[in-house]
Amino acid sequence: MLDFTILTENFDIYLEGYKTTIIASLIALVASFLLGTLIAVFRIAPFKPLNWLGTVYVEFIRNIPLLVIVFFFFFGLRFSGPVAGATGLTIYTAAFIAEAIRAGILSVPKGQMEAARSSGLTYGQTMRLIILPQAIKIVIPPLGNQFINLVKNSSILGVVAGLDLMYHADLISSRTYVTFDVYIFVALFYLSLTIPLSLGVGYMEKRLAKSN
Amino acid sequence: MIEFKGVNKYYGDFHVLKDINLTINQGEVVVVIGPSGSGKSTMLRCINHLETITNGELTVHNISVADKKTDINKLRRNIGMVFQHFYLYPHKTVLENITLAPIKVLGKSEKEAKETALHYLQKVGIAEKAQSYPSQLSGGQQQRVAIARGLAMSPEIMLFDEPTSALDPEMIGEVLDVMKALAKEGMTMVVVTHEMGFAKEVADRIVFMDEGRILEEATPAEFYANPREERAKLFLSRILNH
Repeated sequence: MLDFTILTENFDIYLEGYKTTIIASLIALVASFLLGTLIAVFRIAPFKPLNWLGTVYVEFIRNIPLLVIVFFFFFGLRFSGPVAGATGLTIYTAAFIAEAIRAGILSVPKGQMEAARSSGLTYGQTMRLIILPQAIKIVIPPLGNQFINLVKNSSILGVVAGLDLMYHADLISSRTYVTFDVYIFVALFYLSLTIPLSLGVGYMEKRLAKSN
Repeated sequence: MIEFKGVNKYYGDFHVLKDINLTINQGEVVVVIGPSGSGKSTMLRCINHLETITNGELTVHNISVADKKTDINKLRRNIGMVFQHFYLYPHKTVLENITLAPIKVLGKSEKEAKETALHYLQKVGIAEKAQSYPSQLSGGQQQRVAIARGLAMSPEIMLFDEPTSALDPEMIGEVLDVMKALAKEGMTMVVVTHEMGFAKEVADRIVFMDEGRILEEATPAEFYANPREERAKLFLSRILNH
């Protein structure tokens, strides 16, 4: 049976880590979404050097382990643990988000771009007003997956003294010599973030489908 | 107004447009016909630079379309385009579809753009659908909205790329009627179509294309009564006799 005193007696410590996990995830979520959208637009823009830049980014970043990217910021650039973790997460997740968004943009019929451009709208206006709003509906499910992955991947902060849930759980575990129970509670904390996120994505998907 | 001088276009090795020479004057309705794959649509799409020409000279209002220095967005404002598959913006209402470019490109106020949009919606006969979404309209209605969307920019030229080819037979008439009315008002129109009745009735000139070349250019009366080219005769006999 689970030893609930581990949870109750260390609740403040868990909470401390939980807070950092939430903050780091939120920052990385917003930042990786913005960066990912930018990279996606780079990859399909009618300008070769940008395509090239976008492709290099995606192929380079998504083929390196997240841990290595975080180490780069932590040991290489001497960022603090939480900052190195959140930055690494952002850079890493952005590559996957870019691919999801690019697929969404490409699934919008080419005629939409042609119709908008032939009315005199610029490429940027067309992207912002016509293409991206249509792409986002298609992109929501895969984007949701990436966000859920991001929250779980934030446990990487524990490895670089990131002060997150995992880091604090390690502290509790090494002090109490309890391993199993400590990490079960960690799992519950993560679930308390990912399940609502999952439901939220499902809800958005339904709502956007209705607006069609 | 629109002038092709020795225009060629290649897709890789494929020679799509071969030495196109064509002048279209203000207020003229030019109907381009010919078999599928003859380059009709490609030629039309060169006019507003949706396709780029490989060589030759193409000018609209004496401005070179292919010139890198030409402000293509400015040129396009003046050229409305209607597509085979309408391409209305599905996430915007009919009214928003029409007001978008006048607001964003011409800098009109929302109120002014809305008034213009309603005026043109009335003209194409579906003012009551202003608040609907494109998916709630029939094909014919969608195409009429697309025409209103083009007109709302007050263009001097309207391009039509097989505007009735994707429509149910019953819907074709309502779209052609709108186009006929537009032609009567003196709009400069270039129309790629298979609607021979429309061509006969409305066109000032018919351009017949085959394999990337303009084979014949004539008034409808001349063209239908007495096509000079063998290929045009064959084409006409095939589409008129069924």
